[in-house]
Amino acid sequence: MINAVLVFNNNGQPRMTKFYTQIDTQTKQSLIAQIYDLVAQRPPSACNFLPLPPLLARGASSTGPSDAPTQVTYRTYATLSFIMISTSTESPLALIDLIQVFVEALDRMFENVCELDLIFGYETMHAVLGEMIVGGVVIETNIDKIVAGVRSQEGTTGKKKAIQAASSGVGRGGLPGLGAWR
Amino acid sequence: MKHPENPLDKSLGFKILAALHNGSEEDYIQHSLRECKAEIKSQDMDKKATALLKLIYLEMFGYDMSWASFHVLEVMSSTKYLQKRSGYLAAVQSFRQDTEVLMLATNLLKKDLASSSIPNMSLPLLCLPSMITTSLAMSLLQDVLSRISHSHAAVRKKAVVCLYRLALVYPESLKLAWPKLKDRLMDDEEDGSVTTAVINVVCELGWRRPEDFLPLAPRFFELLVAGGNNWMAIKIIKLFATLTPLEPRLTRKLLRPLMNIIQSTTAMSLLYECINGIIQGGILDGDGGLEEQDEIASLCVGKLRGMLVTDSDPNLKYVALLAFNRIAVPYPVMVSDHRDVIMNCLEDADISIRLQALELVARIVTSDTLQPTVHHLLDQLRQVEHIEWGDSDTPTQSPNGSPSNPLPCSYRVEVINRILDICSYNYYSELLDFEWYVDVLIQLVKLLPSDGGDYRIGDIMYESENAPAAASASRIGSEIRNIAVRVKDVRMETTRAAETLILSDSGNDLFSTVSNPNHNVLGCLAWVVGEFSEHLLIPDQTLKLLIDFSYMPLSPRTISLCLQAIPKVLVRLISNNASGWNPLRKGETSLLLAQIIGVLDALASHPDLDVQERAIEFLEVMRLASDAVHSGSHGEDGVPPLLGYLLPSLFYGLELNPVSANAQHKVPLPGDLDLDQPLNSNIRQLFQEHDKTPFSIEVPRSLQDFYYIKDTPTLSKQQAEVPQFDAQSGSYQKITEGLFQESTTWTKRRVERKERNRDDPFYIGVDDDSSGVSTPFHQALNASNGTELDIDSIPIIDLKLDDVQSYHQSSQGSRENVKAAKTFPRKYNIIPDEMIGADDVGLERVKAPNRPKRQLLQVDSSGLKSFTLGEEAAHPGSSGASPKAGHETEMAIAMKEVERVRLEMQRASERIQPKGIPAEGTMVKKKRRVKKSAVGQQRDTTGLSNKDDASLAIDNTQQQTRSQKSKTKKKVKGSQTEQ
Repeated sequence: MINAVLVFNNNGQPRMTKFYTQIDTQTKQSLIAQIYDLVAQRPPSACNFLPLPPLLARGASSTGPSDAPTQVTYRTYATLSFIMISTSTESPLALIDLIQVFVEALDRMFENVCELDLIFGYETMHAVLGEMIVGGVVIETNIDKIVAGVRSQEGTTGKKKAIQAASSGVGRGGLPGLGAWR
Repeated sequence: MKHPENPLDKSLGFKILAALHNGSEEDYIQHSLRECKAEIKSQDMDKKATALLKLIYLEMFGYDMSWASFHVLEVMSSTKYLQKRSGYLAAVQSFRQDTEVLMLATNLLKKDLASSSIPNMSLPLLCLPSMITTSLAMSLLQDVLSRISHSHAAVRKKAVVCLYRLALVYPESLKLAWPKLKDRLMDDEEDGSVTTAVINVVCELGWRRPEDFLPLAPRFFELLVAGGNNWMAIKIIKLFATLTPLEPRLTRKLLRPLMNIIQSTTAMSLLYECINGIIQGGILDGDGGLEEQDEIASLCVGKLRGMLVTDSDPNLKYVALLAFNRIAVPYPVMVSDHRDVIMNCLEDADISIRLQALELVARIVTSDTLQPTVHHLLDQLRQVEHIEWGDSDTPTQSPNGSPSNPLPCSYRVEVINRILDICSYNYYSELLDFEWYVDVLIQLVKLLPSDGGDYRIGDIMYESENAPAAASASRIGSEIRNIAVRVKDVRMETTRAAETLILSDSGNDLFSTVSNPNHNVLGCLAWVVGEFSEHLLIPDQTLKLLIDFSYMPLSPRTISLCLQAIPKVLVRLISNNASGWNPLRKGETSLLLAQIIGVLDALASHPDLDVQERAIEFLEVMRLASDAVHSGSHGEDGVPPLLGYLLPSLFYGLELNPVSANAQHKVPLPGDLDLDQPLNSNIRQLFQEHDKTPFSIEVPRSLQDFYYIKDTPTLSKQQAEVPQFDAQSGSYQKITEGLFQESTTWTKRRVERKERNRDDPFYIGVDDDSSGVSTPFHQALNASNGTELDIDSIPIIDLKLDDVQSYHQSSQGSRENVKAAKTFPRKYNIIPDEMIGADDVGLERVKAPNRPKRQLLQVDSSGLKSFTLGEEAAHPGSSGASPKAGHETEMAIAMKEVERVRLEMQRASERIQPKGIPAEGTMVKKKRRVKKSAVGQQRDTTGLSNKDDASLAIDNTQQQTRSQKSKTKKKVKGSQTEQ
């Protein structure tokens, strides 16, 4: 099963954290920091699999299926990194595709998704994930069905929200230091 | 149409972002928390929901929001869908099993589960898995169960998964749920998504209880052959991998479809999982019944090799190595054919790939390939010592723009550990040349990553970061010790190697590798040098360095090992010099002794008790030795007898042999040993009498004297006490007699016994003058027993089994520690652990902790293990009435309990006005780190997007069609448009 889905940007600021088991806030933060450190070291040409971060490496055994998380799969798009922590019952290559499906579904919801969309469409992002994964088990991999599921919840509001937010006040990308993804 | 409010409006999103980039985030966040705190109490539901969303957002950054759980519940019960959704999201993110309002949520969840709107109904299904508890599961089971036959597929698939999570905390629920899940699975008309969801759940359940799912194999097979959804196919293959070991006939049936998929599919993920399934399902090790077996094996291994040699996709390399690692356990030969490509992966730029390759290389090593492999790894370590890793491979690989990306310390430690693994595998059975190995060990010590902190992650130094390096350092140390003890033929070389290492340290570099306080190499080296000091080249230099080391701020364990080695080397130094005792030697020796006494003196007040004890013991001995040198009493060859005979007899008795860790358990208890029997029946009374006498004041003082006044000779102290003691109580007359005897007949007897025990390693013949332990208490106990304790009467079990040599030979024959068939360039004897009888593994298992600690993020599914789907699964109708009735009464009781607690809590929450919570919430953790400059480069995405059900197919063979275009807008975007 999938134990956690994380999204953070290149500065290590979380954009979404979803843990399918209960874990206290402090451990969450240190786990995110450890995984970010691992991701930040990776060259773009490297494979999409991370070694286990120290917090997870303790007592992990590689033989046979177990409840313990053993795989950390990540994928980086522009300024954002998407991470899935899973047990050995998930296929590593399929997880890479699952991240791709997630990102594509977000892209459909937000029409050309960018980091800001995810901040303002925070709830929509959670809704998209909720249509894909429930309690750590994948329920849908078809992008059309995922998008339809989210749309049925909020109509077209998700997109509008993002546009509304972005056009109000400061223009997109007008903030210093955010030029990287522009 | 009314625009719903935008919950994350400017007031939050932009300000946070602006604040984050202006560096004043902490102030802003505290301010915003205070704002939320006020807003969340508002009567306006819109405001409340918005405030809650902000809190969820801040929770993501580590700001606790558990104090708001009641408000979460309020928002959850809102009538507006979007508000309700925010509430549920907050519940998912912040509720824990011990969140108290959870009890109050039961009714709300029930109501929402029965809602007529599909989005509303989905919310509790999504939310439940994150906060489910046993009592919640019991009360909601029926409601979730009814959702599994809902008319809408979107609800059904969520309900299926929700039931799985319910079953994890409340295994009984599976009994009711399984027939329904099975119906979903068997239904041909069922929506594909729901079937996939059921398969996903079955796959999770499958590895716990594969036997329960065997009857469903035909259906799985059907679904696999029908194809369509790659995700589902992968899961079914994974499921079959757990089923085939139980039902060998399945392999024959599976083979064809799997081969078909392997040959036809364009999706690498499916191809890979097919190969993986064949490996894990044990199809390769069928008992010869399959004629195509060789063909399959070569097909699989060939495909994997193909993945390794194509340079296009690092992911494929990685997973291929993973698969090889799985094959390597049962069939190392099959993998070692591909040693060439695997060794290439050791040079890969990617650490993940390197680590996998490293693990694999360690598995496939044989005695022929051992030396080249180790040399290769050593070269790699040497390389990184000088050239920072990465400069030569890919200059621009560092994402944060720093000039170079050093090879992580963890990788170097891993390489060292693997080298040791490879060489020490199965009692060195693959190792042919021990002299070479000793040389390798020396190099490894020098290549140990220093803990100077050249490897930092961001700005955070993890405390445990150097723990692995220290662990591998002590592993190297114990390897050197192991070789010295076990392989007599290279004992001299090993000892000299240890000596060289110690000498190379030479004190000028205080924190060089050997004496690095975090490394434990030195302790083992000191032990080897001390124990086998006869092989030392320059013992006097070594001794001086050992003395120097003892002054350093090393770990107590290392210091005590150094202390132990000092007298051993000293003794060897004295007895080595056969040239006779002349004034020059006398001078040298007394100088050495003075140095040793100096260091021991300094350590006598060391905070560590072990060090202190050793220092004090040896201090006494060395003082005596020093006295002996000065007093000028001579033995027959001129050497003072204390130095010539007594000191050596402390250390050089029988040779030490490795003893199995379990041997102690095997030592039989003497039949007449009764530990429950008191040594003296009225011991309590004796103590009480002591307490009454003024003598009792003397006790603490004498103890204090013992520890703090070093130079007081113990004997005179005793004599000073004795008259006093005598005067106080006449009834202890006997004791004083005993005490005076000590100086006369007793001494004689001791000398006799010492003579007897001189060569017995189990007897520590310390000179009796240092009887600091003989406090009045001790004497009182001794005396009240009438005679002195006769140590010789305690039976000593002789661990030595017959002739040591013959024992080794026989055990080698049986255990095949050394492969007799092979011809070695030089035959080495490896001494195995000594053991009485057969090695009993059971003992070890008892001692080992029963269960490893539960891991982070782990979902505990062990409850399912003891639970059987059994008959219910096979005959759904036959579930007996009695268990069901029992279940219902159980439910009723649980419901009552839940209701009671709910009411109680409701009342409590009405009473209490929460005041104790700080207005701005609690800061849990915030890490500061240097912001790394963003990667300007956009990662291109693999082209894999068929928009049908098979959207998960990675077609990595089409890598060349990957989009390399740099997009005009750097947006997060899939590349489906290019496809």
